[in-house]
Amino acid sequence: MKKTWLVVIPVVLFSLIAGFLYLGLFSDPRELDSQITGRPLPSFTLPDLMEPEKQYTPESLAGEVTILNVWGVWCVTCAVEMPYLTQLKEEKGVKFVGLYFDQDLDPDNGTKTLNRVQQEVSALLSRYGNPYAFNIFDTYRDTSLDLGVTGAPEHFVIDKKGIVRMHHVGDINERVWRNKIEPLYRKLTQGSATGADS
Amino acid sequence: MIRILLLIFLCISTVSALAAQDSYAFESVERQTRFNNLTEVLRCPMCQNQNIADSDAMISHDMRRKVYQLLQDGKTDQEVIDYMKARYGDFVYYEPPVTAGTIWLWILPALFALIATVVVLKRRKPKPDTDMAAKLVRADEILQKDKSS
Repeated sequence: MKKTWLVVIPVVLFSLIAGFLYLGLFSDPRELDSQITGRPLPSFTLPDLMEPEKQYTPESLAGEVTILNVWGVWCVTCAVEMPYLTQLKEEKGVKFVGLYFDQDLDPDNGTKTLNRVQQEVSALLSRYGNPYAFNIFDTYRDTSLDLGVTGAPEHFVIDKKGIVRMHHVGDINERVWRNKIEPLYRKLTQGSATGADS
Repeated sequence: MIRILLLIFLCISTVSALAAQDSYAFESVERQTRFNNLTEVLRCPMCQNQNIADSDAMISHDMRRKVYQLLQDGKTDQEVIDYMKARYGDFVYYEPPVTAGTIWLWILPALFALIATVVVLKRRKPKPDTDMAAKLVRADEILQKDKSS
C-alpha cells in the first residue's frame, strides 16, 4: 500500500508540472486581456488629422461596422499592412478609420509640427495606399490610453452601436483576416442588418 | 584609489536618476513622493517586467503623464491604480488581486510547508530500541571476559 503511493505521488506531480510547463510554451507573456472589449468606445472629441477644424466624437463612428486602426508613420508594421487594408477596403468595402498618434510630436515639449506630420502621412498613404475613410488625430494619446493601446498597429472592431467587439494587437494580414476578424466582421455586418444579434 | 571608487559610486548612483527624464513640477514633496511610489508599482504593459518609472517606452511616458495629471486633479492613489487597471487590466499593477485563479499562489506554498512539516515530524520518530538492555548486558559480559582473561 505504502509502496504504490511512493510511485503514484511523484508520477502525478510530474505530470501536473509537465502539463503546466507545456502550456507555458505556447503562452504569450505579452498578450493582455483587453479591458475594452464588450464596452462602448470611451468618449472623446478629437480633430481630423488633415483638417484640424473638423471634430470627431464616438458618434462619428456609429451606424456602420468600423475597424479603428491605431497607427503612425513611425510604425513599420503599419506601413506593411497598409496595402492589404486598402485591398480589403476596395474589394470588400471594409470601413477603416485611423486613430493616428505621433511618437515624436510630444504634446508637452513638441519637436515636430502638425504640418510636418501631415506631409509625412500624405507621402506614406500615396505610396502604400489609403485604406482610411478618415483619420482621427489622437493629439495627446489620451484616447489610445483609454482604449488600452500599448503600441501600433492595433485594431478595434466596432459594431454599429459603437461597442468594441474585438481588440486585435498587431497587423492584419490575410491569415489574421480570414481566421480571426472576418468571421466576426461578417456576423456584425449581417447580424444587425436583420435586427438580430447584439 | 579613493577617487576612482568615488567615480564608480557616482556612476552607479546616477543610473536610477537617469531612468525617467520627465520634468514634472510638483507643488508639494508629499505629492512628488506619491508620484514616485505610484510609478514604481505600476507595470509597463508592453515591457517585460519593468515599472513605468524605469521604462523609456512611449506607453510609459504617457502613463507617467497620466499619473501626474490624475494626481494634479486630486485623485487618490487607489483611484489612479483603478484608472490604470480599468484600461490595462490587473497586469498593470504589481500586486495581483486574490481571485480563484491566483489564490493558488498563496495556498500552494502554505500547503507545501504544511505537508513537509508533517512528513519531517513523522520521520523523526526514534525507533524504540527494545533490546537495548539485553545488548548492554551482553556488552558487560564481554568486558568481564576481557578483564578476567
